[in-house]
Amino acid sequence: MGGFQTITYSVAGGIAYVALNRPHVLNAYNVEMRDELYQALEAVRDDNEVSIGVLRGEGRAFCVGADLTEFGTAPSQIVARDVRWERDIWGMFLSISKPLIASIHGYCLGSGVEIALLCDIRIASDDTVFGMPEVSLGMIPAAGGTQTLPRTIGISRALEMLLVRNRFGASEALGLGLVTRVVERGGLVAETEATARRFVSMNRGAVRAVKAAVWQGADLPLDSALDLETRLALRSMATREN
Amino acid sequence: MDTTYKTLAWDFRPPIVSITQNRPRVSNRVNLLMAMELRHLFQHLHEDECGARVAIITGRGRAFSVGREPISFGKGASRSHTSSEWLELHRAASTLAGAGMPVIAALNGDAIDHGLELALACDLRISARGVALGSTDLSQGIVPWDGGTQRLPRLVGKTLALEMLLTVRLLDAEEAHRVGLVNAVVEPDALARSSEKMALEIASGAPIATRYARETVLKGMDMTLEQGLRLEADLSILLQSTADRAEGLRSFLERREPEFRGE
Repeated sequence: MGGFQTITYSVAGGIAYVALNRPHVLNAYNVEMRDELYQALEAVRDDNEVSIGVLRGEGRAFCVGADLTEFGTAPSQIVARDVRWERDIWGMFLSISKPLIASIHGYCLGSGVEIALLCDIRIASDDTVFGMPEVSLGMIPAAGGTQTLPRTIGISRALEMLLVRNRFGASEALGLGLVTRVVERGGLVAETEATARRFVSMNRGAVRAVKAAVWQGADLPLDSALDLETRLALRSMATREN
Repeated sequence: MDTTYKTLAWDFRPPIVSITQNRPRVSNRVNLLMAMELRHLFQHLHEDECGARVAIITGRGRAFSVGREPISFGKGASRSHTSSEWLELHRAASTLAGAGMPVIAALNGDAIDHGLELALACDLRISARGVALGSTDLSQGIVPWDGGTQRLPRLVGKTLALEMLLTVRLLDAEEAHRVGLVNAVVEPDALARSSEKMALEIASGAPIATRYARETVLKGMDMTLEQGLRLEADLSILLQSTADRAEGLRSFLERREPEFRGE
């Protein structure tokens, strides 16, 4: 897949690499990036050669958040709300049954954090700076962050990150549970690839079943979640035998 | 504002309300009057529209609060109340949780039993080094009833919550920080400064966006992810109608500090 302006997309060894590619603005997320990211994620979802997706950023940053120069261009709140659900890019992330890894470096701010939170695994290089500046700009996160953040790091830490607008580094992010692993900058690519490769060698149906059980089960009462787990496990066994 | 209380000291230096539990001789145990005065204070702040944006609650003396005074049913005023009405009157933690503004617990000393429940009901907790947190209610045959059994597992997870409640295990401030029960641990003499700094940082955010961020997180955690995302989208788009959002964007593009008016 080619012809993208704001991202790059490539597949190698069952791993799809989606790189945010507006390095001159530290990969600030804009409307064009949304549309191209949507297409790339469709490819991750639909391409049978792909077992796992990796999100990363070109240049000095993962993503510094939304491109604010484009904000305020929506004609009305009514239209903005229609647009939000017409092309539901964040729902697209959540609809992908394959695992997603966020490989984070440099700056990871605002919707950059939110993109990472829509992935299953977050690996950061030790030079990463994290932060959620939305409230200090008169907004709230709108890429799922108000929901994914407390579900990932807990309510109190999430409120602190959203309301007390301090930036912090990778080791603190690790302590908060915002990322699962921190490596030296020079080792980020290799660590990300090694992690992705482990998934490629696993039974694909089983990996998907575990991802579905964890994400969907989190929204269910325990009894229903255990039923879901049973259904997914049985289906996975049946397809393995065939 | 000249509202004075027996069990609480408080002052309002815009935009921060500082509340001090003021029963140091009994380690700030919660009693009926304190619960009622706390409720009255927040009602007053709400009705007064004085511009209070953040509240800090702490304790005078060596403890934050080590529990509650024993409630004796069947005596005095309690004759006219059922047990559940009586508990309702004592719910100080519920008052903090429903305060309508972010509340920071500045743990100057131990937060035990009802004191822990007060701390749990706040949005953020800063603790002085050396403080102990926990619930001994069960060893006295009491079930926590001001939110402890619900808010503790939501903050630290089921396993640790059960261990703390069932085995009456107290955590020190450092461990409480590691498990997410407190947001920061500071030296005792830095507590007031640190909590005020945190409050000012919160107050520097856009007022309506602050309220909505809190609402989406707190309400969203009781919803499915999909419902929570709907709430987030609606509130974030509603914020597009505020002057503060336009000011936030302008200030960012002009590389200056924003001036929010809460509009």
